[in-house]
Amino acid sequence: MNPEHCVIIGNGPAANEAALTLRGESRDLRITVIGQEPVRHYKAYLLPEYVSGKLAEDDLYVNPPADHRERDIKLRLGQKVETVSFDTREIILDHKEVVRFDSLIVAVGGIPRIPERLQVFSDLFLALKTLADARIWKQKLKDAETILMVGGDLTSLSFTKALLAMGKRVIFMINEDSFWPLRFDDEIRSQVTERLTAKGVEVLNRRTIKGLAGISENEVEIETDAEKLSVNAVGAFFGLVPNVKFLARSGLHIDRGILVDDYLRTRFAGVYAAGDCAQVYHPELRDYWVSIGYKNAWNLGKIAALNLIGGKIRAQAVAQSIFRVGGIAVNTSWWTEF
Amino acid sequence: MTCKNLVTNEQPSTEKRAGGVVYSADPADFAYARVNIPCQEACPAYTDIPAYIRCAYERRYGRSYEINRSVNLFPGVLGRICSRPCESKCRHGERELGDPVGICHIKRAASDFKGPGRIHGETIASSPGKTVCVIGAGPAGLAAAHDLSTIGFDVTVLEAFDEPGGMLRYGIPEFRLPRNVLKQEIDTILRFGVKLRTGIRVGTDVAMEELLFRFDAVLVAAGCYVSRKLDVPGENLPGVSSGLAFVVDANARRAPVIGDDVLVIGAGFSAFDCARSALRLGARNVSLCIRATEEDLRVTEDEIFETKREGITIRSLVVSRRILGNGKVEGVEFLRTGPGDRLPNGRRHITPIEGSEFVIPADSVIVAIGQGAEPIPSPGETDRRGVLTADPGTFRTSVRQLYAAGDFMTGPTTVIESIAAGRRAAEQIARDLTGKRFREWAIRIEEARLTDRERSWDFIPRVEMPAVLPVQDRLHPPDRQVEIGFSDEEAFEEAKRCYLCYLHYEIDIDRCIYCRYCIDVAPRDCIKLVQEVVTDEQGAITGFVETNEWGRVSAVAIDNSRCIRCGACVRVCPMDCISVSKVQKVERLLHPWGDT
Repeated sequence: MNPEHCVIIGNGPAANEAALTLRGESRDLRITVIGQEPVRHYKAYLLPEYVSGKLAEDDLYVNPPADHRERDIKLRLGQKVETVSFDTREIILDHKEVVRFDSLIVAVGGIPRIPERLQVFSDLFLALKTLADARIWKQKLKDAETILMVGGDLTSLSFTKALLAMGKRVIFMINEDSFWPLRFDDEIRSQVTERLTAKGVEVLNRRTIKGLAGISENEVEIETDAEKLSVNAVGAFFGLVPNVKFLARSGLHIDRGILVDDYLRTRFAGVYAAGDCAQVYHPELRDYWVSIGYKNAWNLGKIAALNLIGGKIRAQAVAQSIFRVGGIAVNTSWWTEF
Repeated sequence: MTCKNLVTNEQPSTEKRAGGVVYSADPADFAYARVNIPCQEACPAYTDIPAYIRCAYERRYGRSYEINRSVNLFPGVLGRICSRPCESKCRHGERELGDPVGICHIKRAASDFKGPGRIHGETIASSPGKTVCVIGAGPAGLAAAHDLSTIGFDVTVLEAFDEPGGMLRYGIPEFRLPRNVLKQEIDTILRFGVKLRTGIRVGTDVAMEELLFRFDAVLVAAGCYVSRKLDVPGENLPGVSSGLAFVVDANARRAPVIGDDVLVIGAGFSAFDCARSALRLGARNVSLCIRATEEDLRVTEDEIFETKREGITIRSLVVSRRILGNGKVEGVEFLRTGPGDRLPNGRRHITPIEGSEFVIPADSVIVAIGQGAEPIPSPGETDRRGVLTADPGTFRTSVRQLYAAGDFMTGPTTVIESIAAGRRAAEQIARDLTGKRFREWAIRIEEARLTDRERSWDFIPRVEMPAVLPVQDRLHPPDRQVEIGFSDEEAFEEAKRCYLCYLHYEIDIDRCIYCRYCIDVAPRDCIKLVQEVVTDEQGAITGFVETNEWGRVSAVAIDNSRCIRCGACVRVCPMDCISVSKVQKVERLLHPWGDT
């Protein structure tokens, strides 16, 4: 008889912790991890330091290359899932291969969010979510002197710090979209402005972008309601949204993320969601929440795996905790509004 | 071609015309069209979509407009506001094939570029000497009036509002539907002598009994103008309005008073119209509150995107519990909801989560959760609300010569559904009054050749509708049309993407040498080695029994429901045994004086 096949879609902290937990609990299970990026699991939060040259690429990787093989976990990298059929329990990859599963953990994480009103300019924005993004930034920064940061999130602050360390001129535009999904009130605005200014960042407050135009390979012109700017690159940091569009109409309940119960179960037996793509109702918050951050994802991946093999562990929102980055307080433990 | 011939070689009932054109009434051929031209089948009015897109590609916009108008009557209107059931069935949107063709946007291009002097051809008939009164000048009523007038009936339309159009005029904001476009198409509909009387409310200004006495038939197509209520405490507080009242006031230029923080409760097109109109009337923060998820919304993805782009927030999985305020609205208390299974009516079952109460402050609340028909004093059977009931198949009420159609009969539907219903009701009334049929649907089959479509066109990305940007420029003036419309070049590029599913590819089994070159070049599993063709009792193909055992192969068959009409098989066939024909579901005026 064939062993039960558990497939994990995703290759981030939730996915990998789920795979390791499953293997730790069961030697018989056949485990496959399907990742879209063509590289093994790395610490995305270190990407700013990789871009600045402080860390080498090898410093980013979590495990040695042979780790999954030695644990008998099949790692399929660079493979995009096109859709999932829960009736037939099949995953369809974009090269048309069909992968059967008995149980499934979806841990695909998030993708950079661009507010709808700015999506028309998406081609001119650079993100810093993946290693591929980081490589683009490294190349770009060889010739770039002035960088405009729009939006604002945890990554943008550490990246700003890295850019300043590289001697770059950084302009930070703060408006109502900044530090989403935090409520960006006047107090936070002045706190952020003060800290950034003290670090040598030029802060533009309450600007609305009216247009962006690529003037050349190395120049972008930005028109706001107050001025015209010319910079070498524009970094967009508007937070992340669950990467679940490929599951639309699959039958899963999807709101912003995949709706799961306290045990991270979806509406299909044996199918779980964990990490930044799962959305859970929390009675104390009286709201749904989606975790962000490496530690939360790691924890949820573990819970999903343990529940999949018979556990009964509730995924509870971590009490509101404040991360301090560069002296600026940012809540990353959970967020409730999108 | 008929599917039936492929299987049984039986001759269907057909009518041959000159030029190799055949009109078929064979149910098998209707079944073929139903499966293989999914866009046309999804359109309630059965608009011949491949045909009009092909005309747009050929830059024959006038003809493209006429193909539309012949069945849906309002191409310029629908090109802007149709709910696009066709696009969700477009084969180009199937998994691995990309995005659906922008069918609706091409329709608008046909309207925009047809030329101002376009003369609308129409076959008309002499008068059978019958009079019909249509109550309501909305899409259903106007469609019925049009069809009856073109076959010679003396038609009078009574409209309660000051101007015709119904929800098209009073429900849809001008930023989505410019009134000059609406006026032009209504004028064209009324041109065959339809008498329009506005400002007349049946039951108040004239009694139904009198209409039944004066006219040979009366059709009630009065739409839905009673707002559904939330039935929660606080609903009567000042600052709370119904979505219907809000849009009617806004569209009648009686600008409703709106606050800074607006909550719109509802999930349909009307709710979206309310939210976007509120923004244009000066609201600062507008939120749409929906019971289920965005995925469950019945509006188009474009609508959701544009709404968000204008800065409107969609708050999902919430249900209102009570409206708060002291002398005026101050906010709404909601409960979170959990989604359940989908109900038979397509809506999502939701479960409120007890103990999840929370409040969203607001100074205006618009409730847009649906409408119902307003009871009209009338003889005849009614439902429990007092609204006249009718048979959905015949549109007849329990009173002879009294009919009901459109949203009045069914509850709120889409514009295209209303138009189709109005037209069907007109045909039924004409038959009942004269004993004759005036229009019928047939399958038109014509020999065709390969088109100039190139395989590379299948990979052209969908051309998005250009819209006014930046967003701030949309809001002033508030009636500024948001969607700009395709340019000629954009329409041409998008039209290239259509597979032209009305083309039918068929292998002549008698000449086929089973070389299988066609299978080798097929871009997907559309050509099959079949052991048996499965048909239903009408002879329509319902499936193929495929085989890999050479000894069992009885035919090489093209599965037209999988075929993307690339033509590669025709080009590669060494025996030239693959034929192409054009199959269209068309409506025909039977005879200027009807056909018994």
